[in-house]
Amino acid sequence: MAVEVSRRRFLQGSVAMTVIGGMSMAPSDLFSNEEEHGSQAMTTKTGTGEAKIVPTLCEMCVNKCAALARVENGVVTKLDPNPMFPKSRNMLCPRGNAGIQALYDPDRLKYPMIRVGEKGEGKFKRVSWEEAYDAILNGTDKFPGLAKILDEEKDNRSTIFFCAGEGMAEHTFKTFFNGFGSANWLNHASLCLRTVVSGYGVTLGAYPQADLENAEYIIMAGANRAEAIVTPDTMDFFKRTKGRGAKLICVDPRFTNTAAKADKWLPIKPGTDLAFVLALTYVAIMEELYDKAYVEKYFDGFTQYKNHLYSEGYTPEWAEKITGIPAKDIYEIARDFMKHAPKAVYYPGRRSTFAKNDFQLRRAMAIFQALGGGIDTKGGLVFGKKLPLKPHATVAPMYAQAEGIDVERAKGHPGYSDCAIVSGGGSWIGFRNRVLEGKGLYPIRGMFLYKHNPMMNMPNTKKTAEFLKKLDLIVTIDTMPSDTVMYADVVLPECTYLERTDPVKTFGGPEPSIAVRNKVIDPMYETKPVIEILRGLTEKISKPLFEITKKYDEDVQDDIADRGEEEVYKDFDLTIPFKHSQEELNEHAVSDYPGAAEALKEHGVYYPNMDKWFKKVSVNEHVYYPDDKKAYTVRGGKPKTPSGKVMCNLKNIAKKGVDPMPTWRKEYEYSVPEGKFRMLTGRHAQFTQSGTSNNAMLHDLINENYIWINKRVAKKMGIKFGDMIEVSSEAGSTRLKAYPTEKIAPDQVFFIHGFGEESEELTWAYRSGGNDNAVIKDDIEPVYGAAVMHSTNVEIRKV
Amino acid sequence: MDLQKIIPYKKMSLKELLVPENKLMALIAVVLTTLFLIGVAIYLVHGHHAYAVTREHPWGLLIAMYIFFVVSSTGLCIVGSFGDVFGFKDYMVVSKRAIFGSIITILSGFAVIAFEIGHPVTMMIYNVLSPGLTSAIWWMGTLYGLYLTFMIIEFIFLMRNDMARAKIFGLIGLLVGLAAHSNLGGVFGFLNARVVSNGVFYPTYFILTAFITGIYLIFIMYGYKYRGQPFPDDVAKALTNFMKIQGLLLAILMFFETWKMLTGVYGGMPERADTIIHILHTKSFWLGEVLCGMVIPFLLILKSKGTAIKQMVWASVIGMVGIFYMRYDLVHDTQLFPMQTLKIREYQLPPSFVDYFPSTAEMMIGFGAIGICMILYFIGTKLFDLDHMPEHH
Amino acid sequence: MARYGMALDYKNCINCKACEVACKEENGVLLGADKHRIWVGVKEIEGEYPLLNIASNTFYPSQCQHCDNAPCEEVCPTHATHYDENGVVRVDPNKCILCSYCMNACPYDARYVDDRTMTVDKCNFCSDTRLARGETTTACQATCPTKVRIFGDLDDPNSEISQVLREREHFSLKPHLGTKPKLFYLM
Repeated sequence: MAVEVSRRRFLQGSVAMTVIGGMSMAPSDLFSNEEEHGSQAMTTKTGTGEAKIVPTLCEMCVNKCAALARVENGVVTKLDPNPMFPKSRNMLCPRGNAGIQALYDPDRLKYPMIRVGEKGEGKFKRVSWEEAYDAILNGTDKFPGLAKILDEEKDNRSTIFFCAGEGMAEHTFKTFFNGFGSANWLNHASLCLRTVVSGYGVTLGAYPQADLENAEYIIMAGANRAEAIVTPDTMDFFKRTKGRGAKLICVDPRFTNTAAKADKWLPIKPGTDLAFVLALTYVAIMEELYDKAYVEKYFDGFTQYKNHLYSEGYTPEWAEKITGIPAKDIYEIARDFMKHAPKAVYYPGRRSTFAKNDFQLRRAMAIFQALGGGIDTKGGLVFGKKLPLKPHATVAPMYAQAEGIDVERAKGHPGYSDCAIVSGGGSWIGFRNRVLEGKGLYPIRGMFLYKHNPMMNMPNTKKTAEFLKKLDLIVTIDTMPSDTVMYADVVLPECTYLERTDPVKTFGGPEPSIAVRNKVIDPMYETKPVIEILRGLTEKISKPLFEITKKYDEDVQDDIADRGEEEVYKDFDLTIPFKHSQEELNEHAVSDYPGAAEALKEHGVYYPNMDKWFKKVSVNEHVYYPDDKKAYTVRGGKPKTPSGKVMCNLKNIAKKGVDPMPTWRKEYEYSVPEGKFRMLTGRHAQFTQSGTSNNAMLHDLINENYIWINKRVAKKMGIKFGDMIEVSSEAGSTRLKAYPTEKIAPDQVFFIHGFGEESEELTWAYRSGGNDNAVIKDDIEPVYGAAVMHSTNVEIRKV
Repeated sequence: MDLQKIIPYKKMSLKELLVPENKLMALIAVVLTTLFLIGVAIYLVHGHHAYAVTREHPWGLLIAMYIFFVVSSTGLCIVGSFGDVFGFKDYMVVSKRAIFGSIITILSGFAVIAFEIGHPVTMMIYNVLSPGLTSAIWWMGTLYGLYLTFMIIEFIFLMRNDMARAKIFGLIGLLVGLAAHSNLGGVFGFLNARVVSNGVFYPTYFILTAFITGIYLIFIMYGYKYRGQPFPDDVAKALTNFMKIQGLLLAILMFFETWKMLTGVYGGMPERADTIIHILHTKSFWLGEVLCGMVIPFLLILKSKGTAIKQMVWASVIGMVGIFYMRYDLVHDTQLFPMQTLKIREYQLPPSFVDYFPSTAEMMIGFGAIGICMILYFIGTKLFDLDHMPEHH
Repeated sequence: MARYGMALDYKNCINCKACEVACKEENGVLLGADKHRIWVGVKEIEGEYPLLNIASNTFYPSQCQHCDNAPCEEVCPTHATHYDENGVVRVDPNKCILCSYCMNACPYDARYVDDRTMTVDKCNFCSDTRLARGETTTACQATCPTKVRIFGDLDDPNSEISQVLREREHFSLKPHLGTKPKLFYLM
């Protein structure tokens, strides 16, 4: 109890300091409290007395697992799994457990701040919320505000762009973007799962889930579910591997923890998975192992694809040379997969784009999966069901002066200069590089950034830094003083997920449900949830910005002449979506389900008949839906494409210069020049990218990342465990310690993403290990403009 | 109350008591004691963080020095008992000095262990309130407490020249001391999971090496007292006999060690064989334990056929260095093989033999306690008549 | 009165270390490399790339074995280490003198020093936190993504753990030492 009291007293003390100490604090004190720096007393033993249990949803990664927060004397002492949520199956991973450290991180952003130093220097002044909003609108002597920029740009709203990381309140922020009227929206997709979602989308009509609870044969290629945890996938099949019902084939250049659980591990050459899948498909078709009835009914372009495979000669022998996987293994896997189909899964995965052929790889995977008939069926890939929510009020005014998306069209070609298709989330690297190179259609002058860390999350950090320096106005909404926040002009501190109620969310799948993140404790310091931040901001800027629109927008001028200003302004009133509290909006969203609002408050989870169906069946296991009520099959196997078919041959994308059928090209082949190494990046179960980089508890598990170097190579180079290594490429360099291991190929190196931040305000993350994006080149995938992560060759040397 | 009635001592002023007989030795003693006090101060400020002990290697130099001192005490008790307990007249001359030595060495040992045990006061309370009768440490601690009491009583009777009573308490003290000391061996011998220490070896080895240590210390004490002058006849006679006994004891020790190592390596049993092989590759074993602790003194004894008692004084100093290494190594070797052999972090080397090197504070307290022992000795030799025995008893 | 034990479906373990974090948060374990009550161990992988030995990379989740015949309890001079009424091996910090004998005697490296109390600490099956509140799971069991652990009363023939141990083959760690661990590894 002593520790509890001391922490609480400390927190109260710091609030008191806020009031009394006020403006006299030095800028560096705004970030941290000396008292807790380096202190070991970060954990709090749970008590046996009175406690409040609040159901909430985790935000330590993107999975949104259900948690029960234990609150004692106003202090969150423990996060436990909430067994009632079908998606997270009564579990919390190490990060979920360490959420308390995100809440009580002494380095958290605590107060609104505006920049007083040079851009990127990290010198800020603490201000009130009102002053911060005013700085966004009117600027300071250091930077211009929105009013000046939009006046200069004649109300071209697209000169300000918006970007957000994934999260439950991303939608709230996007509502602001829609009201603001910019055409430029960037999210994490092009740095993440853009190609996999789209590849499956155009081929099967949806990005399906895998029913790993019932699959008997699983090929997991380039996915690492033991370390990159996805719920419920991770929990569903590792209980059945190792001869216990689910055969696992792991295809990965690196020996991962998933490989450790596999029946067979196939070390493939990086970026050659497409050749592997094409050869599997070749065997399945040539040996007529596929589900003929399914193909007959639901395939479009099968014969063309078959002929394509034959004429290109995508045999296992051909693939062996490219992938390094023995032909006999490919034959065996294709036969075993089809034997187990439809209860066989070629796991779609959800990861960054590793190679330029990733879109085609995903298409080939989807087609191979469909050949076994394992679509919309138990044990295969499933579409599942979703419980719909009611939408709420929003504004989407039309600004005549706002130009379209800033994408340069390629001369003489049907597509754009850097990628064929521009999706909703844009191409981050393409956008950044165009601004840097001055190739934009109009100036890009400012950005609003929510829960996003471009300095850490996209290849070629040097370019990102230059890009950020080039922008006139950067407004960040974040919880941590990340490397990107250091470049901000205005910093708006958001509270952590345990201090806010977020928009209620519906989760589809065979066992659909609705879940909510309930506020566990009141926001600490002067932080606010994003909805309240935007409420304050829009109240400040809505009217003045409308004045600028009035000045330049002839349509609006005409409209006002017709209807009067008051009426017209109603369409332009940015405050409308943020008028209600999140709790009210949530109640409205689930108002079609009787009892849902109450259940969400009490249990954090709701689905129809939950009170009847949810049962504990053993000390660890729960049943959510009776077997016959699970939505494994919702369309009788019919794909969700507009044609209702599996699209083998996409003629319309051929017009944009994209291969209509998955095709291997010579340039996809893997090669590394003598003396260099192919740089691989990836995940670890203990960290979520850079989002958890300063978590004291997780640093207790992995203090810094190490570079994996093959043991024999390291020995030859005189490198021992823990030696400092400089990794460099044409993009830049970084330093981290050596980890000689046989788990990686002699011509490859690997280190986990999310380490090596440069922000000095991060006690634990500051320069702990190396930053992969300082080294990875900014190669772009040609279809969606996604960042290619595994195409960089690097040099290493001991320093 | 007249202290003189309880224990006869030489009357002198405080100044007389404190003026050193040998300035160099006094300086060494004071410097070491100061280091001890500084080490204790560091410990009081930083707690166990001042020590280099870890989860994998919880016992360090302080345990080794404690053992060093209590083995010395037991050894001197055995040596002293020859005369006053068993009545061998030739050895009577050393009894008082040896028994006095056994008291001050164990006090020095207690001074060290007081700062190794995290909560010595708690220990005194709960040793009595909830005794752990299956614990070798409980028995060792309790018996050493009793042993010290009996040794003090024996010493009082010796000072009073009441040889009959001295003999009774000496015998009880000796038996309790041997029991305590073999229990100290048992502290290690009972560690079933620590295969190089587990078993009968250490309890017996401790008694044997205690005897050897006692003889080394007798040589050092008399060598110092009669520095630059010949030994008196009675002392020379006792020392010559002890030197010959020492030859026999060292031979037995070498025989023991040889078989311990041979049986340890034989058959290549996991944990045991690799640990023994690791030990056989260390300098502290060969140079410290074997060369200093056994071979040099043994060669001198052989070469002179047990007569070079003046040279044996220096060989004993070297021998005590060897004894230190035996204590240090036995503590370290016990913990060499890790109990966690799996990697529990991705970024670590697979666990192998556990490293340990004492911290400055540990060295200050551990070696500084030698200064305490020296000061007690110098004061004791001034206060008490440690040489003259009654002619008949 | 019970006799608590734990069965580990260790093949489920993916070495994510959720158990370690849950344990630290529940029990207020200090941060620091050698401060842990629970861990997942793995051998250095055998073989040379690409011919690696998958089986050599098995994950072994572990913690205090709560031996029925615990060496740590036997060697404790003050009975600070004791069996509680549920057969759980506990340390009474008021009696612990930090002689560290138990740390040396434990064959499983399950003990560490808590720097706040300067006494030896260890896994206690969440006896003074969760079990004291009437809960029936330990923090490590509740949080585990792949549900490695089954905690329960070995004296109750109807408990799930008793049933599992009757039906499935299992082994214990270092059984030759006669410590009679109450952690059982299910095969």
